[in-house]
Amino acid sequence: MLAPPMHSLMFRLLSRPLRLPAFLGPTPSPEDPQIFRFHSERAPIVSDVVRRVVQHYAGQPERLLHVLNEAGNAEVRRLASQGDLEASDALGSWKRLVRRLGKMDEDERREALREKVRDFTEDIAGNFDPRVYGLATRIIPNLLTAVMSPKAMPQQLLSGFRPLDGLITAEGPIDKLRRLAKVGTLVLVPTHSSNLDSIALGYVLMRERLPPVVYGAGKNLFSNPLISFFMHNLGAYRVDRRITAPLYKEALKTYSCMMIERGYHSLFFPGGTRARSGLIERRLKLGLAGTGVEAFARNQARGVTRPVYFVPATLNYALVLEAETLIEDHLKGAGQSRYIIEDDESSRLDRVYAFLTKLTQLRSAMVMRFGEPMDPFCNPIDDEGRSIAPSGNPVDPASYVKCHGVATVDPARDAGYTRELGEAIAREYQRETVILWTQLVAHILYRQLVHATPELDLFGRQRVRGQVGMPRAQLEAEVGQARDLLLEFAAAGRVHVGPVLRSMPPDHIVAEALAAWSGYHTKPVATAVGADVMIEDPNLLLFYQNRLVPFAEDLATPETVAAARTIAALGGRA
Amino acid sequence: MTVRGAEGTEAKVAVVGGGSFGWGLAHAAERAGREVLLWSRRPQREGTAKIRLVGSLAELARAELVFFAVPSPVMPALARELGAHLDGAHYLVHVSRGIVGDELQTLSQVLRTCTPCRRVGALAGPLVAQALTDGSPGGGVVASRFPEVHTTVREAIGGQRLRIYSTDDLIGAEFASTAVGLLAMAVGFAQGVGLGPATLAVMASRGMSEATRIGVALGGRSETFTGLSGYGDLLAAVAGDGRPELAVGRQLAAGTPLAEIGQQVGAYIEGLDSARRIAAYARRTGIRAPLLSMCAEVFAGRVSSAEVVAALMGRQVGAE
Repeated sequence: MLAPPMHSLMFRLLSRPLRLPAFLGPTPSPEDPQIFRFHSERAPIVSDVVRRVVQHYAGQPERLLHVLNEAGNAEVRRLASQGDLEASDALGSWKRLVRRLGKMDEDERREALREKVRDFTEDIAGNFDPRVYGLATRIIPNLLTAVMSPKAMPQQLLSGFRPLDGLITAEGPIDKLRRLAKVGTLVLVPTHSSNLDSIALGYVLMRERLPPVVYGAGKNLFSNPLISFFMHNLGAYRVDRRITAPLYKEALKTYSCMMIERGYHSLFFPGGTRARSGLIERRLKLGLAGTGVEAFARNQARGVTRPVYFVPATLNYALVLEAETLIEDHLKGAGQSRYIIEDDESSRLDRVYAFLTKLTQLRSAMVMRFGEPMDPFCNPIDDEGRSIAPSGNPVDPASYVKCHGVATVDPARDAGYTRELGEAIAREYQRETVILWTQLVAHILYRQLVHATPELDLFGRQRVRGQVGMPRAQLEAEVGQARDLLLEFAAAGRVHVGPVLRSMPPDHIVAEALAAWSGYHTKPVATAVGADVMIEDPNLLLFYQNRLVPFAEDLATPETVAAARTIAALGGRA
Repeated sequence: MTVRGAEGTEAKVAVVGGGSFGWGLAHAAERAGREVLLWSRRPQREGTAKIRLVGSLAELARAELVFFAVPSPVMPALARELGAHLDGAHYLVHVSRGIVGDELQTLSQVLRTCTPCRRVGALAGPLVAQALTDGSPGGGVVASRFPEVHTTVREAIGGQRLRIYSTDDLIGAEFASTAVGLLAMAVGFAQGVGLGPATLAVMASRGMSEATRIGVALGGRSETFTGLSGYGDLLAAVAGDGRPELAVGRQLAAGTPLAEIGQQVGAYIEGLDSARRIAAYARRTGIRAPLLSMCAEVFAGRVSSAEVVAALMGRQVGAE
C-alpha cells in the first residue's frame, strides 16, 4: 500500500483531538470514579467494542454481506457529497471495499468488517485526562465569570465568591446521588433545550462534587481545536450525525453500552435533540440511553451485580440562548427533520457573549433540578441504593432480566423495558419541571393574545406583532394569581416553582421578565408602553410559555378558559 | 424478596379468582399439562389432581405466570397484596374487560403500579369461560410488550384446540377488549328491542370506529381494533357465543332494573362502569363518540329503548 500523502498526515494531526502523554499522568486512587482510569482502559474498550460488533454480524454470512454493502453504499454517497479533504481519504477506501465485496470470501469480509468497525470506534472513543479535569475545575468557573462579568473578577479572586454560583441553582437529591455514584453507575437523562446544556451540566457536577460523566457530543462541536481538546479529554465521545450507516450506529450503541457496563457514569439527552418548541419533552425514544438497560442485563448475565441508576433532570432557563432559531424551526414544522441546525446562535460567538452578559444581570437564570433516581425497570431507589417495590420492600433488580431463574441478555425484552423507562422518565420531567418567572409572564401575555384573537389559528396569531397588549396592572394581577396556584401545585408535588417566582411580588416578577427579554433577543418579546404591556414577538412568547402548557387549563381565570383550552391543545395535560 | 422454589416450579401456573373465567383458565392450563395454584375469595368447588386451591395469595408466588381473573374494582387491592410476594421475574396477565379512572387507565397499568412486576399482559379476544372449561376449539390474543410473556402464556394454556395469537400493542388490545365488552351489551340490547341485522352491523361498526379513535388517543394502534381482540371478538358476540354481556343487554331492553340484572347474570359486568368512563373521557377530550356515549346513557337507565333507536337512526349521515 502507498504511504498516505503529506497533506493527509497534516490533516490527521490537526483534526484528531490532542492527548497529553500518558506517562506523566497521576495514578488514580481506588475511590476515584471509573473515568479516572479511562486513559489506560481506552485501548481494551475499543478492542472489546470491535469484537462485539463483529460477533453481532459475523455469525450469518448473508447478514455480514448486507451490512457491509449497506454501510459501503451509504458512506460512498455521504463522503462524495461532503467532498472535503477528510472525505476523499475515506472515500477511496470505501469505494475499494464496495467494488471487491462480491469477490471476497467470508474471512475477508469479516476482516473488512473488523477494520471498518475499528475505524468507526477509534473515531467515536473519547478520552479523559485527570490533569485536564483538574485544570478545567480551576479555570472554567473563572473563565465564565470573566466573560460574563469582568468587573466581578478581582473581587472573586479575593473572596472566592463566584457570580456563577448565584446564576445557576442546582436542586434535588444531590447528597443521595453522590452516595449512589459510589455503589452503582449513574445514567443522567436530562431535558435538552440548549447547546449550553452539557457545559452547564458539567459545571454543576463539578461544583456539587458529583463525578464527571461521559457523553456523546456532535462531531461539529469538535471542530475548534481548543474546545475539542477539552471536550475530548473530559470524557466526551464523538457522534457523527452525518453517518447514517446502521453499522456505525451499532458501533456507537456498543460503545455506550460498554462504558456503562464498565461503570462509567454517563449522560444522554433522551429527547435526542434540543426541544424546538420549548415544550417539556413528552415522548422519549431513549436512543442511546436505552443501552443502560442492556448494560445492566449483560453485567448480570456474567455475574457483575453493579446497579445502574437512571437520573432524570430538568434544565430550566429563564432565557434560552437559541430560543429564536428553535421556535422558528418548530413553527416551520421542520423540527425533527432538520436534526442539526448548523447556524444557530450557539455557533456565533457574539451571540454567546451577549447571552452570557445578559445572564449575569439576572438572578438564578438557570435552575437544574435532579429528579429521584430509578433503576432500569422504573423502580425508585432508596438511600442505600436498593430498588424499592410498591410494597415498600426492596426488590432485586436482577429478577427483571431473569428467565426461568437465569439472567439473560434479550434485546426484545430490553426493548420493552426501554419503552417503559422512556415513559417513566417523561412523567418525571413533568413533575420535576421548575417554572421560572419569564415563563409565567410569557404565559399570561400569550393567553391574553389568544383571548384577544379567537378567530385566528396558531400561524395567524404568530403574525400579530405590536397590536395586542394588556394593562400592566392586570398582567401583574394575573401573574400573582397564577403564581399562587402554581405554589399550590408545587405543594401537591405536581411541579416546582423557581426561586424568583416564589419570593418576589408580582410587579417585580413582571419587571424582571421585561428586563430579561430586552437587550439579548434581537427583537423585544414585549415592551411597556405607558400603562400597558404590548406583545411584540409572539414566537418567543410562545416558546417561553410552552413549559406551562400542561397547566394552562388549571391556571385559567373564568374569562380566559377558552384561551387556556386552545393553549392546552398545543401539548398535553400534566 | 421472593425466594424462588425448587427446580421445575416455574412450570406451575397461578390463577387469582375463582369465578367461571378463573376456573376456565385453570382447566385450560390443566389440559396443557400444568400444575395450577388457584386462589379465590370464596372457593365454591373442589380442586382436581392438577388444580390445587391455596389459602393465601402468597403461595401463588411459586408460579412464574399469574393470571388475574377478578373484577376490576377488586384488582388493585389484590394486586397490592400479592405484589408484596412477587418480584421482576413474575409474569402477570389479566383477562378483565375493565378500565379505571378518568384517564381510562388499563388494568395492565394497574398491575404495573401495584406490584413490582413489569412483564405484564392481557388476554383478549373471543375467549369465553365455558369454552375454556370444556376445551372446545377457540382462540384469543395475548398482548404484552414482552415476547417472553407471549411464549409463556401460549405454553401455559394454548394447544391444538386453543390458538393463542400475540401482539405487542398492549393498550390497544386492552381497550379493544373493553370496547367489545360494552358493544356486546349494546348488541344484546339491540337484539332485545328487535333491531335487524343491518342495524346491528351499522351499530357494531360505528361503535368500533369510535372505540378505535379513543384507543389510538390512549396510545394503541388502529390495526389492533380490526384484529381478533377487536372485530374478531365482536363477531363472536354478534354470533351469540353466550357471553354474559349479551344477556345483560337483552335484560336492559326488557326494562329489567340494573340491580336485578346483576343478580340474574351472576358475573360482574365491566361494561356498565366503562361506558360511563369512556363517555366522560370522550366529552372531555373532544373525541367524537356518539354511539358509545349513548350506551352510557342507556346503561344508566336515563334513556328508554324507543328513544335510543330514534336518536341513533336520526343522526346526520356523513362520510364513513
